[in-house]
Amino acid sequence: MTTEAHDLELIDLLDRVAEQEHVALKALYDLCAGKLFGLAVRVVGNREWAEDVLQESFISIWRSAGDYRASLSPPMAWLGLIVRSRGLDFLRRRTTSRSHVTQELDDGMAETLEGNSPCPMDTVQASEQALALHQCLGRLENRQREVVSLAYIRDLSHSELSLQLKLPLGTVKTWIRRGLDQLRQCMSHFA
Amino acid sequence: MNLIKNPQLLDHLASAYALGTLRGGARRRFEALARVQAPVRTAALVWQTRLASMNELQTQSVPSPAVWTRIDNMLQGEKEAATLRAQRSAGLQAAAGETHLGEWLRSLLVWRGAAAVGALATVVAVVTGLNLRAELGGEVQALQAKLLTTPQIQYVAVLADGQAAASVLVTFDANSKKLTLQRVGSYQEAGDKSLQLWALPPAGGPRSLGVLGQDKLLRLTAGEGDIREVPTLAISLEPKGGVPSAGGPTGPVLFSGALIQKML
Repeated sequence: MTTEAHDLELIDLLDRVAEQEHVALKALYDLCAGKLFGLAVRVVGNREWAEDVLQESFISIWRSAGDYRASLSPPMAWLGLIVRSRGLDFLRRRTTSRSHVTQELDDGMAETLEGNSPCPMDTVQASEQALALHQCLGRLENRQREVVSLAYIRDLSHSELSLQLKLPLGTVKTWIRRGLDQLRQCMSHFA
Repeated sequence: MNLIKNPQLLDHLASAYALGTLRGGARRRFEALARVQAPVRTAALVWQTRLASMNELQTQSVPSPAVWTRIDNMLQGEKEAATLRAQRSAGLQAAAGETHLGEWLRSLLVWRGAAAVGALATVVAVVTGLNLRAELGGEVQALQAKLLTTPQIQYVAVLADGQAAASVLVTFDANSKKLTLQRVGSYQEAGDKSLQLWALPPAGGPRSLGVLGQDKLLRLTAGEGDIREVPTLAISLEPKGGVPSAGGPTGPVLFSGALIQKML
């Protein structure tokens, strides 16, 4: 299915979800749960929490699908923002209730940082806009791409990244700065 | 800081802002600028949109089937709660006005809400029936109350002067035992005089029914015995405040007329 046809299908489902059609929510879930669950895992760092986040996300999609049209975003981008923000809420609640626990980096992420795969990112179901970002991220060094990606997905500051990745603060700042510089140059071609 | 004149710096700050690594005072200053300068705001939005695509590039993973079951259970629960609320408010509307009946209906409706749709039809029929009866009962009560308060005019007299010009209209309501006098002419007694109303029974002398004030409309209390069997009423001109009944009128009779018993 082409990106455009896929988007139209999702938009139609979102409209029907806004009309509180249960069948449409189920259809939307069947189409997107895998992609959105992958994102949730990445945000919160483990599958069990990610399942809670996915559940909360679909309840909030059920309640706010009527707002989708006003966002002017591709449907997957809008759904992704909901999942990420539910995921970040989940992490904030956990840190507030268990402030003594510092968040540990999950194994999967440590592997990605060390790995040499050209770009582990997945373009399945990605919008046109995401394909552009994917191309530009592909030109970054693995470590830079991973740090930039992690900073965004988990909403982490330089010092939080340095703590979690066990890297010197200066290194983190340099990777982020270089990564963003290259992204800016590359993305300007798509503007 | 004029960011608009430095597009490279603006792009740099906007991308760091959207990524989330622009923090503290620098972030607050950037936000303040974005609020007042549209190009700054635009640059921030462009980068937020671009980086949001990061959400779409994560590797897929299959969640446990239990997740959908949990979502579905929550939605079913919400749906049932909403249905219950709707039935409850419908019950409230149907029973509005009748507090005890209303409470009974509400508890019945909530209880029935959990039962099958077939049972609901029965409830609707019962509610409609009860409501109809309550409405009819209310209407009868209202009519009875209205009958009690509506004056029942049993006697009417038009008191006229010598030229047969109507001057005072008299009505008597046996229910409330009220005589109502309405001046309809232009006659006005002098300041030191009063008009006095008399019953002129066939036997015995005139009996005073009261003294008129200056008002257009005057109400006097009288027993039905004072009025019944009296063929004629009259008004005389007396000294201020009127004269005792026993002595009869002392001044000239200005208006008089027959008292007519109205047939219902």
